[in-house]
Amino acid sequence: MKSTSFITSVAAAVAVAAVALAGATVASAKTTLEIVKERGHLRCQVGQPSPGFYNLDANGEWYGSDVSICQAVAAAIFGSKKKLEIQSVSSQVRFTALANGESDLLSRTATWTLLRDTQLGLDFTAVNFYDGQGFMVPKDSGITSAHDLKGATVCVLTGTTTELNLADFSRVNNLNIKPVTFEDQNVRNDTYLQGGCDALTNDKSGLASNKAAFPNPGDHIVLPETISKEPLAPAVRQGDAQWFDIVKWTVYALVGAEELGVNKGNVDDMRANSTNASVRRMLGVEGNLHDGLGLSKDWAYNIIKEVGNYGEIYAAYMGSGKLGIGIGRSGSANALWTKGGLMYSPPFR
Amino acid sequence: MSMAKAEKSVTRSAPLTETSFIGWLHKNLFSSWVNAILTFVSLYIIFVVIKSLWIWGVAEAVWVAENRRECFAISKDGACWAGVIIWLENIFYGRYPRDELWRVNLGGLLLILWMAPLWLPRVKDKIFIGLSTVFLYPFLAGYLFAGGDKGIFMQLMVTGAIVCLVGNTVHACIGVFSGGGLPESLLGILGRKDASDANQRNTLLAVLAIAFVLIYALQIGWTVEAVPWTKWGGMFLTLVISGIGITSALPGGIILALGRRSKLPVIRVLSTSFIELFRSVPLITVLFMATTMFPLFMPEGFVLNKLVQVIIAVCLFSACYMAETVRAGLQAIPKGQYEAAHTIGLGYWGMMGLIVMPQALKHMIPNIVGSFIGLLKDTTLVSIIGLFDILGMLRSISQDAPWRGLHKEPLIFGAVLFFIVCFIMSKYSRHLEVKLSAGANR
Amino acid sequence: MAIRNSGEASARVKPKEKFDFFHDERVRSVFYQILTACVVGWLAWYLITNTAHNLEVRGMNTGFGFLSATAGFDTDFKLIEYKPGIGTYGRIFLIGCINTLLVSFLAIIASTILGFVVGVLRLSSNWLVARLSLTYVEVVRNTPLLLQIIFWYVGVFALLPRVKNSLDLSVGAELVFLNNRGLYSAWPIPGDLFWMTSVAFVAAVIGVFILRGWAHKRQDRTGQQFPIFSASVALLVVLPGAIYLLTGSPLDWDLPTLQGFNFAGGASLPPAFLALLIALTFYHAAHLAESVRAGILSVSKGQTEAALAIGLKPSRAMSLIIIPQAMRAIVPPMISLWMNVVKNSSLAIAIGYSDVVALFMQTALNQAGYAVEMVGMTMAFYMFISLSISGLLNIYNKRVQLVER
Repeated sequence: MKSTSFITSVAAAVAVAAVALAGATVASAKTTLEIVKERGHLRCQVGQPSPGFYNLDANGEWYGSDVSICQAVAAAIFGSKKKLEIQSVSSQVRFTALANGESDLLSRTATWTLLRDTQLGLDFTAVNFYDGQGFMVPKDSGITSAHDLKGATVCVLTGTTTELNLADFSRVNNLNIKPVTFEDQNVRNDTYLQGGCDALTNDKSGLASNKAAFPNPGDHIVLPETISKEPLAPAVRQGDAQWFDIVKWTVYALVGAEELGVNKGNVDDMRANSTNASVRRMLGVEGNLHDGLGLSKDWAYNIIKEVGNYGEIYAAYMGSGKLGIGIGRSGSANALWTKGGLMYSPPFR
Repeated sequence: MSMAKAEKSVTRSAPLTETSFIGWLHKNLFSSWVNAILTFVSLYIIFVVIKSLWIWGVAEAVWVAENRRECFAISKDGACWAGVIIWLENIFYGRYPRDELWRVNLGGLLLILWMAPLWLPRVKDKIFIGLSTVFLYPFLAGYLFAGGDKGIFMQLMVTGAIVCLVGNTVHACIGVFSGGGLPESLLGILGRKDASDANQRNTLLAVLAIAFVLIYALQIGWTVEAVPWTKWGGMFLTLVISGIGITSALPGGIILALGRRSKLPVIRVLSTSFIELFRSVPLITVLFMATTMFPLFMPEGFVLNKLVQVIIAVCLFSACYMAETVRAGLQAIPKGQYEAAHTIGLGYWGMMGLIVMPQALKHMIPNIVGSFIGLLKDTTLVSIIGLFDILGMLRSISQDAPWRGLHKEPLIFGAVLFFIVCFIMSKYSRHLEVKLSAGANR
Repeated sequence: MAIRNSGEASARVKPKEKFDFFHDERVRSVFYQILTACVVGWLAWYLITNTAHNLEVRGMNTGFGFLSATAGFDTDFKLIEYKPGIGTYGRIFLIGCINTLLVSFLAIIASTILGFVVGVLRLSSNWLVARLSLTYVEVVRNTPLLLQIIFWYVGVFALLPRVKNSLDLSVGAELVFLNNRGLYSAWPIPGDLFWMTSVAFVAAVIGVFILRGWAHKRQDRTGQQFPIFSASVALLVVLPGAIYLLTGSPLDWDLPTLQGFNFAGGASLPPAFLALLIALTFYHAAHLAESVRAGILSVSKGQTEAALAIGLKPSRAMSLIIIPQAMRAIVPPMISLWMNVVKNSSLAIAIGYSDVVALFMQTALNQAGYAVEMVGMTMAFYMFISLSISGLLNIYNKRVQLVER
């Protein structure tokens, strides 16, 4: 029996070691691009399902605007959006998971703030969605401005910047708002619908998607005030300039393609026949812009071919597409700069 | 004698209360005023609950629809089961590739095949079958689920597992039909039934070795596509985590329990504090610790993925609870058994392994099933830290564009599913308890 | 021959103990212990150095200085004064701990009472009641607590009326309201002379104890029974009541009134608190009910028969003979169940009740970092509570052992 117990303990140790090794990855001095290429797929971090940005469908596939950014980066590197592993990580450990190399890229609704940019060891690349916090109230409440919310109960998700912004807004305007915190969006929405709170606060994108899911969306209005700036941008680990550039210019390629009128449908035609020098440079027909990024010549072509341009992504997931959450784009900060928005891509030259 | 009655007394029928339905009602439901009131209150509660559940869940429910709007259009007061039905694959298998689902199913079937002999009568060497389930099945299932390239170690373990599975099954069949076992039959076929013990063993080993080599050669060509852990989810993930938790808890729990009862102070103090540390905090804090602190414990550049972090946390947690179960089992063994083992000259490990542990373990089986039920329920907590176990999947339905806001139906579905699984297991553990205690009283 | 002779002679003498270094039990035990200590020590050292190195490399902050830093977020349920932007993280921790203790304490009391009731009902002679209690116990025990908490929160509290149609639980007196924002109740504000009423009450309690002692002695001596219960109630009501009226009713009530959006005044409990309390109560009561049932069944039937034979009523037999004996089997699982209540209250995180895990380990950790310190503090808190409760169990076990002799 002595030998049996010995074998038992060895077996246990081996099993533990096997599990540990299977789950372990050893990073080294290689650049992120080299690691990703060697692995054969990109590891992209998103959050727990959130309408518009990242969602699971009934077949277990991810979709959403932030997922499209992940796909675009994968397409830029490998020429295929399928070479991608989406990791969904809870918000407590999102930055650690990026910092320790578990994920290559963080493409989730993380607000770009000075503190996060400087103290958490990560770099925000380029804004892909401008959000801001707002309030929603029932139409029959008669409230028309956030300043009418004196003494009101407001439903808010716990552990988010939303909670901080609400506290700040209440303090600055002396509104004495009573927060009711929730862990789960659905519960918060139900509580709001049942009159458990007078108003609902969330990022305006979130409000739009919440409203769209209500039984009677027309009975609720979003108040005009935007009480915070929430620029959402993909983030990468600090210290790898090439990787930072790749992700940043992937976002710019999406925006730039929309500016130049290149989309999923006409990209082949554009590559073959376009006379516009900017288009030719972007799609890799002319010049050697890809060298600086360390990618192949047709990186931007692959992005558009596989994923589409920024406008197409927006329409599909943020706009009124079948999977969209119905936020109008025209007149908002997310419109192209040529149409009065903030979406602007530096030139491809 | 004059006291004796002259005439025969009339035969009376049994009192009403003993036989008829009304008698039963009177005895069991209306024996007193208080009881009658209690009966009516209970009947009212049952009526209200069943009626509202029936209307919401069945009568007014929508079973087929494209999206939630359509559900609303058909019926506003009923449940919208259509979303849950469309999501069933996600709920059971998570994001596992749809073409590869057979692997998960096969893994489940193999486990049933492997363990079935434990319940069959007339099968010998059940201890060996049980041990092989714990130590070899995980490798076979692990490869089946994760796929990818097999290293040399994995190849050996998978081969070993297949050989063992085939051997077990044949052994069990022989056992059921003839009452014998694989070794005797094998030797019978080879015509070496009367050889000496050593020769018999050698023959058996040789046959097994040949089988091992054959299967090893065959399995080299067999590979399945790699499925990363991020695609594991649903009920499958819940079962994987709690399954690994309970299997590793047993050896871990035994070691810790022996440590806690050890005469050596250093070992005793360490085991005791380890057990008490994990038993005195909630699982959710252990899971938080795993996800926030484990990455800091590792040397730089060495990264454990979330699933492994969670599994380690669950294993530590369940081992400490199992340790207390084992300790209670050990305390129930009479002192005479220890003394008898010493008397026949057994050392510590011999005494524990041959005399005490087998008796203790046998009586702990109901408790182990109980711990497994507890662990299965507790595993739902991993959804809080972002894994897509069954609860995580159920809660994701409400975020999917066609089903946005659908969250009550999935929760009810999950509760019913858990109830069925746990109820069957707890009934089984109670049945075992009765059976074992009947055996002990004999 | 000589050799054999000497051998026979020395057979009676105890053979001299041979000291074999490698097979000596004491040497081995010391060796094993040193080995274990070394392995554990090395592991600890390894983890600590790794952690220190990682913290440094990632530029993460360490130390407990953050406890006095101000926290920028608010919480919807707190028993002590706190203002966002002024209150510190230390205070947040304190609020979390108090909230955990409050909900656990109430859930322990409620589940203990309910558990005993259901446990007795399980053995009811009424078939329907026994079956119904069994169904309740089975359903609750075989579904995850997390699901149950969410169920109560989503399924039940969503059904409560809105603020304007609040349920008045005090039947028209407007003292206690229930709506989907929680439970609102009147709250007493003691006046200047209220201390005299308190003193009178304490005096009454002491009086009850003296009375009981006297009544027991008298019963032992003369066999006469004294109606202790009604006398005690009379004493407890009359004495403080009289003082209260004599000092001019020095107690004001802060009533909840509907002002603007919400009820103002009085005391209030948020729905998350109520949902958690109810879920914890029902869950643990079902577990306790099984222990109570097993405990009662463990008392041999002869005890009941003997009690009835000496002329006790069934209810007196239960309370004087059966329950006291059953307690010996019930109390240990009951106390470990209390421990579970405290631990399971951490699931509050799923519905956003501000307990120590949700408030400190989730929100504060998200805002400030300091993972190691915050996780460590939270675990230490739970350990302290659990060890206190298990200390209680040990004291009880010792007392019971003494009684058993």
